[in-house]
Order: sequence, then structure tokens, then C-alpha cells
Amino acid sequence: MGKCSAISTLGLVMVLTFAPKLRSQTPAPNAATDSAKKWNSVPPPMSAYVGKKSGPAPRRDLSGTWDAAGMQEALGTSGAIEHPALFPGRKGSEGGRPDETGIEHPLPYTPLGLAALKANKPSGPGVRQVHAALTNDPAGKCDPLGFPYMELWEFRTVKLVQTANQVILISPFYGNYRIIWTDGRELPTDPDPRWNGYSVGKWVDDYTFVVETVGLNPNSWIDHAGRPHSDQLRVTEEFHRVDHDNLQLTMTINDPKMYTEPWLALNKLPLHLQPADFDIPELLCSPSEMAEYNDQIGSGAAAEKK
Amino acid sequence: MTRTNISASLLVIGLLATSVSLFAHHGAASYDTSKTITVTGTVAEYVWANPHVFVKVDAKDDSGNIVRWNIEAWNPVTQANRGWSKSTFKPGDEVVIETRPVKNGQPIGQFAGKIEINGKQFKLHND
Repeated sequence: MGKCSAISTLGLVMVLTFAPKLRSQTPAPNAATDSAKKWNSVPPPMSAYVGKKSGPAPRRDLSGTWDAAGMQEALGTSGAIEHPALFPGRKGSEGGRPDETGIEHPLPYTPLGLAALKANKPSGPGVRQVHAALTNDPAGKCDPLGFPYMELWEFRTVKLVQTANQVILISPFYGNYRIIWTDGRELPTDPDPRWNGYSVGKWVDDYTFVVETVGLNPNSWIDHAGRPHSDQLRVTEEFHRVDHDNLQLTMTINDPKMYTEPWLALNKLPLHLQPADFDIPELLCSPSEMAEYNDQIGSGAAAEKK
Repeated sequence: MTRTNISASLLVIGLLATSVSLFAHHGAASYDTSKTITVTGTVAEYVWANPHVFVKVDAKDDSGNIVRWNIEAWNPVTQANRGWSKSTFKPGDEVVIETRPVKNGQPIGQFAGKIEINGKQFKLHND
């Protein structure tokens, strides 16, 4: 025992002696090069991930900063990625149609759903696009995007934080956040509406986290193409951790008032893990800046031709 | 005004093919996707703001009158990812900007190609 103890002590002394020296020999990554690079980090392009090897997925863990690389795919400017409001061949981005007849992946509207769709005037590119000054998109007034709009339009870099009883999603685009309870509570029945709804999540296996959300404010839209929803909307998300560096997000929309059957909004949207020191840039919606934009650009652009 | 006085002219330089990705942009319905105009003038103001960054440029039209152009880019994050910043343009800068104009003839446009600031070529707005 005494010998073991002596060896342990010697080992400890060696570690303490040499550790600082080892540390000092290892250059701090990027620290002295350019501190500005530590801020407003820029995610790499999709090509950076091609052929990149990843370690195994940690068990029941989504935490980290995730980027939906390949911005154009994730932007959803023409509506939910699986159902863009575009004709076959991704044509028809400049509006001019009152409804979505003929788009490539049509949605199963109820009569009420179709009427609600027509009342929504989207400014994003698509077959129903209107001038920026004529839109009634909640985002056009800097209203909260709410959920699921925040994940179906401009889904940029997000942060997932796991605590003992919640998963928190922080999406700096328009300053969004979500609280997903994991403490086993039931979803509320007939709750007061909330822009971000009421969410509960559970692990269905060690790598798949399923979230159900209800109680969503019908004043929000589903996506940037003006797809409507009612207070009966229920959204199911599946976050699947493929391996250490990769996560996939699948989202199903179920709103029996507006749609005759559930539909897939996201199908395994790839999300890529970013370095721990990734600083997500800010992109908020400022009502006064929006008003100036509409005054200087939107209104003039929408005016009748001279 | 002479032909060499570039700042006095707005020149339609050509037709461009378009794509959805080019106009993944709100309000793009207003723009004439078949046309590119070169706006040459002096920066009056540069607005680094949401939802879209834009620059106000005073350019002379063919009659020598000063016309205030508002030319928009995308949001600050997208622009920053392309190397723009709050100080890319300054009031007084002499600029040449390829612009996609609105359909209704107003002096409003989107960045659509080459950008020259005080005689130096700046990054192409290549989305």
C-alpha cells in the first residue's frame, strides 16, 4: 500500500510539474491570431461536410450549436421545404396567382384551409407572391414568427440546450426561442394560445427525440408562403442524432380544420454541429427599421407604374 | 454632360437569366428580373438594418437631374457572410452599382452584380 501510495504521489507530482509546461507548449488555437473571428461566426458551406467523418452519437444528447448548411435549402423562402409554393421545376417565383393550383407538391387543403390561404398575402417568392408593401405576413410587421414558422423560414444556426427537465431551442433569427418540457408532463387541453405553443418531448430511443406541440396562436402562419393554421394545429418534430456531428429534423403538420390529412414539412433536414465557440450572429426584426425599409423601398416599389 | 461623364448616365447593360435562389427574397415581385441598370453616383446614406441593408445613392439622370436611388441588399447576417460590414459604404463614396430595378420605374433596385467603390472593385453580389 505504501509503495502504491508513493507511486501515486510521484505520479501526481509529475503531472503537476509537467502539466503547465505541456500547456505552455500548446499554442492556444486562434487566440492571438484574430479575436474578431470569435464573434459573429460564419457557418461553413455545405461542401465542407462532404465526406467528413464523425464519431458516434452521444446517448440522449442534442446539446450544441447546429447549422442547417446550404442556406438556400433551409431558408424556406417559398414555403415549407417539402412543399414550396412553386410550379414544377421550381418555377413561378413571382406570384400572380390567387391560389396554389398546379404547384409541384400541393397541400391537402380543406375548403376552410383554402379560404384561409387566399386571405394570407405572402411576400416571399412563390406563385402567390405580392409586393413587400402589400403583404399581411406577420413577419412583415415584426410580429413574432411563432412556431412552426420559426423553423420553416430562414432556419439558420440554432442553439440547443438541455437541462434536467427541458430542451431549449434558441434561434437568433428574429429572436426566437422554444421551451420543450421533458419532465413527463401532459400537453394542456384547450390552452390559451401562445405564439410558440406548448411543447413536450421524449426520447423514443437513445438517439431520437420526439416533440409534440399544441396551443399555437392562429394569428401566425405556418410558413413564408402563407400557409394557414388553426388553433387545432398539432406539430410533431423528430430530432434524430445520426452521429456526433449530424442531426436530422423531420416535422409533420396536423391541422384537421385546415388540411384533410397530416403533411410533412421537413423530411430529415440535415443539421451540422458547429464548434463550441461558435458565436451565432444576431438577426432581429426591428419595427422602426422595417418601417423605414417599407417607406424607402417597399412602398415605392409597389406603387402604380408611372 | 458628355459620354465620358459616366456619373451622368444610367445604362441598361443587359438581360439576365433568373432563378429562385436569386430571388429568395421578400418583395422580389416588385423587381424586373429581365433588366440590369448601372447606377453611378454618390452615396448619400448607408443603412445597415433589418430586414435589409440598403444604400441611398444620388445619381444624375440623362437630363442632369439628381435622382435618389435606394438599392437594397439582403439582411445584415447574409451580407456579413459575404464580407460586407457597417462601413462598406460611406456618405460621399463614388459608386457604380449594377442594379436590378423595380418594374414601375421608380429609382429603387436590388444589388445585381458588380459594385465599384471609389474606383475599386468590391465583391460581386453573387447570389
